Amino acid sequence: MMRFSKFLKVEADIVVARHALVMDETKSKAEPVIFLHPEFAKRSGVNDGDVVEVEANGRVVKLKVKLSDKAPESGGVIPNGIYASYLTSFDGFKRFKASIEVAEGEPTSAEEIIGQLKV
Amino acid sequence: MIMICPGCSCLCDDIYIKEGKVFNACRRGNEIFAKYKENRAVARVDGKEVDVDTAIEKAVEILKDAKNPAIYGLDTTVVEAQRIAIDVAEKLNGYIDDNSSFCLGELVEAVLKGEMPTTTLDEVRDNAYVLVYWGTNPYHSLSRHLSKYTYYPRGKKRPRGYDEDRFLVVVDVRRSETAVLAKKNARFIMVDDDAELVDSFVKVAEGKAAKYAKDVGVIINEMKRADFNVIFGGLGLKYGLKDLNQFKEMVKKLNEVAPVYFIPAGFHGNMRGFNETLFERVGHVNKYSFRDGKSGEEFAFTELLKNEKIDAALIVGTDPVYSLPFEVSSKLGKIKTIVVDPRMSFTAKIADVVIPSAISGVETGGTMVRSDGVRVKLEPLEEKEVNDVYILNKIKEGL
Repeated sequence: MMRFSKFLKVEADIVVARHALVMDETKSKAEPVIFLHPEFAKRSGVNDGDVVEVEANGRVVKLKVKLSDKAPESGGVIPNGIYASYLTSFDGFKRFKASIEVAEGEPTSAEEIIGQLKV
Repeated sequence: MIMICPGCSCLCDDIYIKEGKVFNACRRGNEIFAKYKENRAVARVDGKEVDVDTAIEKAVEILKDAKNPAIYGLDTTVVEAQRIAIDVAEKLNGYIDDNSSFCLGELVEAVLKGEMPTTTLDEVRDNAYVLVYWGTNPYHSLSRHLSKYTYYPRGKKRPRGYDEDRFLVVVDVRRSETAVLAKKNARFIMVDDDAELVDSFVKVAEGKAAKYAKDVGVIINEMKRADFNVIFGGLGLKYGLKDLNQFKEMVKKLNEVAPVYFIPAGFHGNMRGFNETLFERVGHVNKYSFRDGKSGEEFAFTELLKNEKIDAALIVGTDPVYSLPFEVSSKLGKIKTIVVDPRMSFTAKIADVVIPSAISGVETGGTMVRSDGVRVKLEPLEEKEVNDVYILNKIKEGL
């Protein structure tokens, strides 16, 4: 069944923060995840486990949604790492605005981002 | 075997390893010791595997040919290696910087210059009453900070620990895991603009009305009850304030009514070590140009890259592709990059030269400096010859 929220793009406040459960000390992988506040997710028609497109500064990544009441009530937390770094600019290094919408398909892989670096 | 964990600036000194099992470490520390053999870097030149000596020779060649080379990173290596890296930067007449230029370097510099009173985490454990965590969530970033040094321990003058002998204050833009702890004997202040809270502390200390007067009034009264209070400032504080001088003035003002110390909270295992090592050498903690003989925003590695001012970078023990904004890291593809790292990091994957190194604190020993300035000596679990000191010495000799 087609979901209405699929076509709903909402603005979110994003905080970039360390997350011990996502960090990888072996530097081998990065988890494409965004922690959304449950109330924000409910208002936006996003469910736990959804893949969402997050757009900021003209760049887009697809991340998997996890719900967390530790996220800002008006958005979410993206853990420090390649996905947050891809979206952010220095002006909003730890906090920025993004638009979010439910998307089809798999989350963005780190390799897709690295592939844009060395051409 | 008892080890010191190099995972973050807590440098926990009670990690017990027996029969391959790691005890007392946080999740991050556990990974460092339990997974130290995973995803190891391999010596490479232009994507082809080579021996380490060939990779070092190529690195020397690149640095010799470069017109504007920079050295960057160094926050996860030991002081002994940091000193050699500074020698290399000087020999190249180039730039040197670490992560602190966009992290807490400015606050560390203020501490080193005596602009804010500071103390040690051991003193905090024994004496501190009001603990302010401002713009930092140690639950995730410094996972044992609260349990080993600050909130939970029962100190000499604080025998009842968090039950009655601590007053916890958390300042954040969200109700983080640390903020959730602020219930009994505590205050959580959710801020939108950190400058307004700084202003409130200053005004209330002067007996004036202010936006956060109710909460701040309670906190200042609690501070007055004790002879030892401390503020831990993290990246949220750094990026929440446009001008950190406001914060320094606030700490000064608070000290007119109660003793309040400051300790930076955050960053890599030996970031403060780099700051102190460079400070001892040139009087600045980061973003230094040997060519210009001074430090400046324009010499921050991120600015040099963004403005295309460098043509080669020696990156030691850090992963800018992972951690820097894309508008900056995307410029790495346009210059020659040499990565010295124990792991096959994201940056190593795009580097022209990769030189595999030992993990500091696990496979090689040396000195690191805790976030509070206490120097600790790390002993390796097992010794590996090709470490950062070896590699940087070889590069220095080759130039």
